[in-house]
Amino acid sequence: MCCWFFLRRMGPVLLLWVAVCLSGSWAVDKGNFKTCDQSAFCKRQRAMKPGESPYRALLETMELTNTRLTLQLINDNNKVRLLLELYRLQGNITRVKINELKPLKPRYEVPDVLIREPPTEPLSLLSQDENGVVLSLGAESQRVIVSARPFRLDIVEGRDVLMSLNSRGLLGFEHLRMRKDTFSYKVTSTVASVWDNIKRVFSSQADPEAENKEGTDPANPAETAKEEEEKVEDGMWEETFKTHTDSKPSGPSAVSLDFSLPGVEHVYGIPEHGDSLKLKTTDSGDPYRLYNLDVFQYELYNPMALYGSVPVMLSHNARRTMGIFWLNAAETWVDISSNTAGKTVFGKMLDYVQGSSETPQTDVRWISESGIIDVFLMLGPTPRDVFSQYASLTGTQAFPPLASLGYHQCRWNYNDQEDVRSVDAGFDEHDIPYDFIWLDIEHTDGKRYFTWDPHKFASPKEMLQGLQDKKRKMVAIVDPHIKVDTNYKIHNEIRSRGFYVKNKDGGDYEGWCWPGSAGYPDFTRPDMRAWWASQFAYDQYEGTMENLYTWNDMNEPSVFNGPEVTMHKDAMHESWEHRDVHNLYGLYVHRATAEGLIERSGGVERPFVLTRAFFAGSQRYGAVWTGDNAAEWDHLKISIPMCLSLGLVGISFCGADVGGFFKSPSTELLVRWYQTGAYQPFFRAHAHLDTPRREPWLFGPENTALIREVIRQRYTFLPYWYQLFYLAYQTGEPVMRPLWVEYPQDPATFALDDEFLLGRDLLVHPVTEEGARGVTAYLPGKHEVWFDIHTFQKHNGGQNLYIPVTMSSIPVFQRGGSIIPRKLRVRRSSTCMEHDPYTLYVALDNRRTAEGELYIDDGHTFNYEKKELMHRKFSFANGVLSSVDLEPNAQFTTKSWVERIIILGASKPSMVTLKTADGENQLEFDFDASMSVLTIRKPGMNAGADWTVTLQ
Amino acid sequence: MRFHIITAAFLWAAFVESRKIRGISSSYKRFYRERKSFLCIDGSKIIPFEQVNDDYCDCADGSDEPGTSACPRGRFYCTNLGFRPHYIPSSRVNDGICDCCDASDEYNSHARCQNTCWNLGQKERAYVEGQMKTLDEGLRLKQQLIEEGVLLWREKQAQLRELQRAAEDLQIKLEEHRKRKHEADRLKEQTLKALKAGDRGFRHQNSTVSHLFQLLDSNKDGSISLDEVKAKVVLVHDETRVLSEDEALTLLGGGHQMDLSKFQNTLWDVLTRGDGYKIKDAHSAPGGLMSEDPHLKAADRAAEWEAADLKKVEEAYETVNMEISDLQKKLEIDYGTDWEYLFLNGQCYKLKVYEYMYTLCPFNTVSQKSTAGTEVSLGLWGMWAGPAKNRYSQMVYENGEPCWQGGSRTTSVSKDQHAALASGRTQTWSTQSNFMCCVTSANVNPCDIWGRASFTRSLVLPAYSLTGTQIGSDKTIK
Repeated sequence: MCCWFFLRRMGPVLLLWVAVCLSGSWAVDKGNFKTCDQSAFCKRQRAMKPGESPYRALLETMELTNTRLTLQLINDNNKVRLLLELYRLQGNITRVKINELKPLKPRYEVPDVLIREPPTEPLSLLSQDENGVVLSLGAESQRVIVSARPFRLDIVEGRDVLMSLNSRGLLGFEHLRMRKDTFSYKVTSTVASVWDNIKRVFSSQADPEAENKEGTDPANPAETAKEEEEKVEDGMWEETFKTHTDSKPSGPSAVSLDFSLPGVEHVYGIPEHGDSLKLKTTDSGDPYRLYNLDVFQYELYNPMALYGSVPVMLSHNARRTMGIFWLNAAETWVDISSNTAGKTVFGKMLDYVQGSSETPQTDVRWISESGIIDVFLMLGPTPRDVFSQYASLTGTQAFPPLASLGYHQCRWNYNDQEDVRSVDAGFDEHDIPYDFIWLDIEHTDGKRYFTWDPHKFASPKEMLQGLQDKKRKMVAIVDPHIKVDTNYKIHNEIRSRGFYVKNKDGGDYEGWCWPGSAGYPDFTRPDMRAWWASQFAYDQYEGTMENLYTWNDMNEPSVFNGPEVTMHKDAMHESWEHRDVHNLYGLYVHRATAEGLIERSGGVERPFVLTRAFFAGSQRYGAVWTGDNAAEWDHLKISIPMCLSLGLVGISFCGADVGGFFKSPSTELLVRWYQTGAYQPFFRAHAHLDTPRREPWLFGPENTALIREVIRQRYTFLPYWYQLFYLAYQTGEPVMRPLWVEYPQDPATFALDDEFLLGRDLLVHPVTEEGARGVTAYLPGKHEVWFDIHTFQKHNGGQNLYIPVTMSSIPVFQRGGSIIPRKLRVRRSSTCMEHDPYTLYVALDNRRTAEGELYIDDGHTFNYEKKELMHRKFSFANGVLSSVDLEPNAQFTTKSWVERIIILGASKPSMVTLKTADGENQLEFDFDASMSVLTIRKPGMNAGADWTVTLQ
Repeated sequence: MRFHIITAAFLWAAFVESRKIRGISSSYKRFYRERKSFLCIDGSKIIPFEQVNDDYCDCADGSDEPGTSACPRGRFYCTNLGFRPHYIPSSRVNDGICDCCDASDEYNSHARCQNTCWNLGQKERAYVEGQMKTLDEGLRLKQQLIEEGVLLWREKQAQLRELQRAAEDLQIKLEEHRKRKHEADRLKEQTLKALKAGDRGFRHQNSTVSHLFQLLDSNKDGSISLDEVKAKVVLVHDETRVLSEDEALTLLGGGHQMDLSKFQNTLWDVLTRGDGYKIKDAHSAPGGLMSEDPHLKAADRAAEWEAADLKKVEEAYETVNMEISDLQKKLEIDYGTDWEYLFLNGQCYKLKVYEYMYTLCPFNTVSQKSTAGTEVSLGLWGMWAGPAKNRYSQMVYENGEPCWQGGSRTTSVSKDQHAALASGRTQTWSTQSNFMCCVTSANVNPCDIWGRASFTRSLVLPAYSLTGTQIGSDKTIK
């Protein structure tokens, strides 16, 4: 939800804005957000020309210990020295850190994102001369070549260069400095030089090179002059955008570095952008921007920043997948260029024929406003390796409560308890399952979070109990802006504890948001987060009980009257400027809230918290949605690449508002969106306050039936979803993944983003075109077969398949070779289905084999960490289907049993025998010869038992 | 009583039904006669009878599993002895939630369901009885209101006729008065003319001439001297200045003396013309002198009298006509086929929803007032707008305060039969405002919050029952 409504509430002050909004333009007002040219550091850094790097490695300063290499770099233009640190991390990751050798004051290094100090592996020196150093990177045949003049790093495997740093010479590091035109500078610099002299006298061994250099400096008038000449550009010490002035007390502090990826034509990631899965080159426009912003009515297919940022880029070609993780929480811009981007297929062919082709190469450049360079080079080589490498750094997806994988019904707003009751009853009347109903900001007492409107929600516990009686749950919103109101307990406590973010003058920072004037708690403080978490206790947050969960919106943070609708960069988080921590704020809000939900249950229950803003590591705290989209076909389409991009960088629990937030969808669009959303990880319908109601039954019986059907399909697949999330939690593999992740050598998959895989085994090609009569889906894998999950029709892989569609069609295919457990008894909510029996869908591949898994636990506690779970493996080979325990040490019992086995691509057996610990018995079966589908009737064994079913 | 008989019938039916087949009603019993095999009710498949209710779905229509949750499209029959029987979707069988009041749907779950049918039945019976009573009462009241409506209507009609008659009378009177006033005015005019022209009533004129002559002839010698003129005659526009010898001489026709006959033909004319000279200290112009004329005075008085009378009658006529048109307007409104809604006219009802007070004055206005005190018109009486079959089920109020995005607020008020029954009243109305706009100030307007959302709140009119929240009835229908 965004500023639309707020505009209207702001009244005359913002009348002009209102007029703009009403003028009928539904697009984002781009003028409210900076271009690279309007962001002084981006403009300065982007103006640097390649091939003129002033940086030189001082090889004589090299120190190599078992775990790290350090080396000084010098900028020959201004003599400022940097310290390079290089680490070899376990799991084929190389970490490169560059900071000022002697910064005027410490520069920000992002805390709390890495799950631990990454374990290192030994580095060894292979060779060294005056031009550079060669180091071996662990056991792989990988080496790092450090070149001295100009400084560059190349990572090489065998004869291939995997990646080069500063190969274009775009390393930029604006050292901290005193402002020269001020009195204090003159005084301080004099004092400093005196102090330096004193130091030099008393510590003669320290840093001989530095001493030497500094000593020679005064004797070198040319160099001194050069430094003096360094021109003070506009925007270095103060910057104004629209009516906002950034006081920039630390002056220029940007960092940037370029990376070259030889042989790479496809790069992905760096969410969040409303753009295609494959990232585009940025030569002709702005770089991709990473700066968490509340963008009102965002536009698609451009590199503008959105609500969240994960500074992780993946590169992929048929031979290798790699990742670059740029750990910096300040405003960041990413430039991408490619030597093949402009070439047509014909041009590439010509190059090939003439043998004149240069290797394709993608060049990437990262620019951040402050902090240091701390970059993790995840060297793959497979997509799975990159996922596990990134997971080893920032952790994996939080394992969500099972119910949160069901359907969520949201709207701004469900008006009161009666409204909630009647919507809940509507689902029963129309026999549509759902698990969560959501309350947006209007449920509070005057936008005071942690409270309830005394009239509309006078007895929240009664309401929650009513939902609980049907085994359903609720989510209520808690935003991080706190109404400035001395009658509001939360505000008083935060103020009295000094927990608010401060403005540049030291007072509590105040901005304008839903409640009017609001303060912003400093979530970067652990003590603040602990206090916040404590507010979710049942005795603190009145009217709540176990089935109430939380939604964090506006945590970019959104500040209606701030620059670019967010917080002033010179606001203070204790000793750090907001500039340094901006992209991290939302993660901290999400984290503190999730911790609150865990604490309120004494650490027993899994939390469910949805966030709009995010950063690297946010996957550990819950779900993310793509913010305030619109009821347009393009927004439906973009939900696929947006969630795929998030999945690639660890955030699997992703979804887009079904139906579109702004505007009102046509019935066709709404139905198509439900069909798409039902096969995306986070499945929630949401709508703007200004739009007409759109509960599933409001569009005539036919459409109600279509929506009911697809929501029910979702519920039948819940066991598979749950298992995929368990896998994501364990390994970091995305739940929803691009095809190239599973078919990395098939270039036809590299740019696909109108279809996707769920795990390895389900391929989904949603219908996202208005009035579509058919879709063309690419079925990957030359030797694979795919089964239509609705008709059981078998199709060969490695082809583009045209599929005629009607309004009821949602093309989904199960991979031959897989076994998917489903629950076909769809009930009111996922919890109601807990003890229901399974149907196993066994899809045979060309070798007539198949494999699959089943994961079961209690669905809502952390007891799975204590191995209270059941994890089984099914395999089919040689006519025998068996179930074996993957976790023999685990303890869990279930009432669920196997009611049906459907084998796709089977031939007719003469007899089917079940063997369990209790003995053998014959099973009834039914064979459909036209589709080669064998249905085994009611084998009846417990889902946790060891068994075999033999076809004879 | 009928209800009890039906219940008894079910009791009996349930008892003789096959004990094995869970989840079917007696009317479906014939499909489940225990034989070796079972034919799916849609005829699609024959299965062994043991497979009925064996927790596996064999029939596409779900008919083999009426008592389990196995079939996706199945249904389960709650017998609910003592209460109403009904079907639930199979998916609610053994899902841990008690759906049937007889607990029959949770025969194999951890849910601990109580059989609440008897209590529910009791309650429902009491409720139905109450409803019947209310309904009877309501119907009686409705009949009463219709009668009252008819009476009221007749009364109004009679009132209208009376008023019309009065208007007619007044019109006649008016004509009469107009004539009389006209006559009086004419008389007055004539008198005035006659006086001026002097061609009528010589004696009267003469005496006036002689009266003036005597006034000027201070020494009473029968002639007016130069001194006497100078002493008594002045310029009309400058009364203080004494006339000069020459002016006096001119007035006397050049001589020093003037007798009565000469006066009558010369100076009298000059003095009575009133445009040059007049007699000193005379309070009024020669006209004023004329008004002292008793004839003129009488004519004047008569004319004034008639004018006042006419005005009174005119006013009365206007008032009566206004009342007539008022009454006609009210009587033109459609108060239902039997005038059963007539009694609502002139009443106002208030409904408080959170911080807003809504006031509905049927056939008149709907408005909303916030606690802050700002009042917004949500519409003026428009029309009945129910569907053709039930036109009187909905009222529409239109042309309320305009919305900032254009268009104006409208409100529809619907008769809510269900709520009426639930509330024990026979007439309940719910208002549903359709505000296509909002925000008139920096504050949140409630229509943002729930007007849009087609929010419905029941407004209980004390229609046919005696309780309610009636306020300020101004009884505008007389």
